[in-house]
Amino acid sequence: MACTVNGRDVSLDLDPRESLLDMLREQLALTGTKKGCDQGHCGACTVHVDGRRVLSCLTPAVQVAGQAVTTIEGVAGEDSGLHPLQQAFIDHDALQCGYCTPGQIMSGIACIAEGHCGSDDEIREYMSGNICRCAAYVGIVAAVRQTADAVRNGA
Amino acid sequence: MTVADAPGTTGPPLDTRRVDAREKVTGRARYAVDRVPENVAYGAWATARIGKGRVVRVDTAAAEAVPGVRLVITRFGPDELHDVGFLMAGGHAVQSLQPLRDDRIAYRGQPVALVVADSLVAATEAAQLITAEYEEEPFTVKIGAEGAETVLQEQAIPLPFLADVKVGDAEAAFAASPVQITGTYEHPAQHAMPMEPNASVVHWEGDRLIVDDTTQNANAVRFGLATQLGIDPADVEVRSPYVGGGFGQKNAMHLHLGPIAVAARRLGRPVKMVLPRPQVFHLGAFRPNTVHQVRLGANEKGELLAAIHEVDQQTSRHDLFPSEITTVSSRLYATPAFRGEQRLVRTDVQTPGFMRSPHESPSMFAFESAMDELAYATGRDPVELRLAHDTPTDPVTGLPFSGRHLAECLRRGAARFGWDARDPEPGSMTAEDGSAVGWGVAAGCYPGGIVPVVAHLSAVADGTLTVGVGGHEFGQGLRSAVALLVARDLGVPVDTVIVRAGDTRVAPQHLTAGSWGTASALPAVQAALGELREALDVPASGDVDVAAAVRATGRPAVAVEATTLAPGQSRDDLAQLDKGVLAIGGPVYPEFVTFSWAAHFVEVRIERTTRRIRVPRVVSVVDCGRVASPVTAASQVRGGVVWGIGQALREESEVDSRFGGFLNTTLEDYPVPVNLDVQQIDVDFIDEPDLRFNPAGVKGVGEICMVGVSAAIANAVHHATGRRMRRLPIRLEHVL
Repeated sequence: MACTVNGRDVSLDLDPRESLLDMLREQLALTGTKKGCDQGHCGACTVHVDGRRVLSCLTPAVQVAGQAVTTIEGVAGEDSGLHPLQQAFIDHDALQCGYCTPGQIMSGIACIAEGHCGSDDEIREYMSGNICRCAAYVGIVAAVRQTADAVRNGA
Repeated sequence: MTVADAPGTTGPPLDTRRVDAREKVTGRARYAVDRVPENVAYGAWATARIGKGRVVRVDTAAAEAVPGVRLVITRFGPDELHDVGFLMAGGHAVQSLQPLRDDRIAYRGQPVALVVADSLVAATEAAQLITAEYEEEPFTVKIGAEGAETVLQEQAIPLPFLADVKVGDAEAAFAASPVQITGTYEHPAQHAMPMEPNASVVHWEGDRLIVDDTTQNANAVRFGLATQLGIDPADVEVRSPYVGGGFGQKNAMHLHLGPIAVAARRLGRPVKMVLPRPQVFHLGAFRPNTVHQVRLGANEKGELLAAIHEVDQQTSRHDLFPSEITTVSSRLYATPAFRGEQRLVRTDVQTPGFMRSPHESPSMFAFESAMDELAYATGRDPVELRLAHDTPTDPVTGLPFSGRHLAECLRRGAARFGWDARDPEPGSMTAEDGSAVGWGVAAGCYPGGIVPVVAHLSAVADGTLTVGVGGHEFGQGLRSAVALLVARDLGVPVDTVIVRAGDTRVAPQHLTAGSWGTASALPAVQAALGELREALDVPASGDVDVAAAVRATGRPAVAVEATTLAPGQSRDDLAQLDKGVLAIGGPVYPEFVTFSWAAHFVEVRIERTTRRIRVPRVVSVVDCGRVASPVTAASQVRGGVVWGIGQALREESEVDSRFGGFLNTTLEDYPVPVNLDVQQIDVDFIDEPDLRFNPAGVKGVGEICMVGVSAAIANAVHHATGRRMRRLPIRLEHVL
């Protein structure tokens, strides 16, 4: 199986039953992506495949052959600064324990790119696939909205 | 940037943002199993498929034939895994029953075999291929069902703090009361379900056992494993620097740790184990089902003459998980007579345990619902009735409260919410879209505990300060509160302070729970700051040029240590800490009694056709003493409010008497609040230091913020519909 992960070429021999999540964590030691439920219910494992947000726990690793995978470790700019949404999460304290945070940010980046930030309720709806048990939801909505507004205003 | 003034310092405003946020948003924070050791093997449980009985035979042949499987263990020898004991009975584990030590099956979901394999895929496949033959026995999973055994707590566990509260002759006073409120309230079993499942990776370095675990109690893991494996606790190192949510579910040693440590020793390899989400529902603590009977006696003006709170609380067959339901209901209001009775009901489940505001939020759901009924029965405004029962003195002991600003919480909350505009008539308020609107209020209190803490503080010549402290960081903001304290005290930037927590290498790690983490750690760090100032030969207060002061000593680094105890504690309590057992002080201290306080105001809207219940806004005002870390404390309160919404409207762990075990064991079937369930949450703090309680003036915040929310929601639903909600969760079928 060959694909790219955060822009780097990756080639692995995989059990066809291995999930993309376990490939990232256990084979590539990219442990920013988290296992919350392993059943597609919680969103902690959200990554991007060819720019779309997917649940890596429900994605067989072999299925991403030839595709571009982006994880939380790959969203920052070339200068290794923070993605604007990462900074917004810090500024709005949109996290507590931090375990769901990488998945929230990957979903948030996609939510903005999809154009699902027309209102707070729309953000809430399109971010509802990512559970935050600490319940930092108010901050998450504020962080996504701020970043979406900045994108819209050409910042 | 979020900033706050640093009182007493001349430096720039402090950055009060969460100090470990950058690690968390970049994915660099290392949680328990974010380590992939070379040659690691993976563990998986196979679990029992009966409600109760004995294992006659376990068939492991198919599992052993799976390529990559290295070990299949169905029984450990008595010398291989010793007894550890239940945390609340002086031991270290989530329950006394350790699987794979005998043929007993106490509940559905209990492990019957451990598989260890080269890959997670192989371990999972093999575990699913294991079958067993059982001798089944009758079982009981519900309070009140045949076979459930009820015991009086004060007789079964004769410890003073678990005795029933009795003030005056409450039965006689109730019987003589012209107004009597009687209600039975049921709170379901619930599971905390932190986002990070229970997970560990262990390896041996010679005779030393190195453990990365997700825990709120690294001491329990360390001493529990030492006891279980018969090794010196000094040879067990436990690291839990980032915990992906705890909520009490990670208060004790989990059942897989001993078995994977044995497996790692047998194989000579590190072993990693992550519990699948459905297994988390059967292998860890849950909030037990409780049934409350509350009786309030009052005069026609609504003045309380007597309060009686009796409760049946579920426990397991093999352990008694103690109830502290009446600890709070006996303290909330001035009452001349109170009687509590706490009964434990043995059922065939794993041992229940702590889940955020474990006793207090169910207690307040029942008690504060009854108070709302009293307000309606006597024509009093619910806020005004509560204000009329304020008291500076603990009704149970007669000692003063070290701080009680509940009345101010109620007044300020009412003003922020706009309570004056409320028409008390049920069903009288309607939204533009036709939804029924209900406004409800409830208060809450939570015991103020303190545990012994050791803090190490070192300063090096580049000005960096490192704090190694007893306490675990699981999102509540302990690390931020400690860093802010040091930065404020010395007048240094927050980012020069490194805080190491949850690690047995840096300090003894007492259980961090019960909202005592910050209130215990900050006094120790404050004492260490005093020691550091002496060691650096700088004045006792004011800004310090740390780098210059260290250089002036002629040493590369200056390190100090301080230990603090709860008021009234002695060296004996410190010895408890060194043995890894609980040493909790409070809420009753020699000269005062300490609680945190809160008032919650809630609006619910019930849609006209679907009867869906929404919570568009909540106002919560909290008295938690001085607010040590404003950003993280506000996040905790918002989180606690959302937990109250989940408790009131969503969460129930369901059982089926035919099968045993819990039924809805996924995050799909056990619905917790998601983003769209949460709208406006307005948080305010009294922010008055409680300096009698401790020199830092801080009290707990992470649990009080949830206590009372579910009652406020139930009271709001009553206001919207005229119907009393005496059972949680409230679902649309209850408001049709």
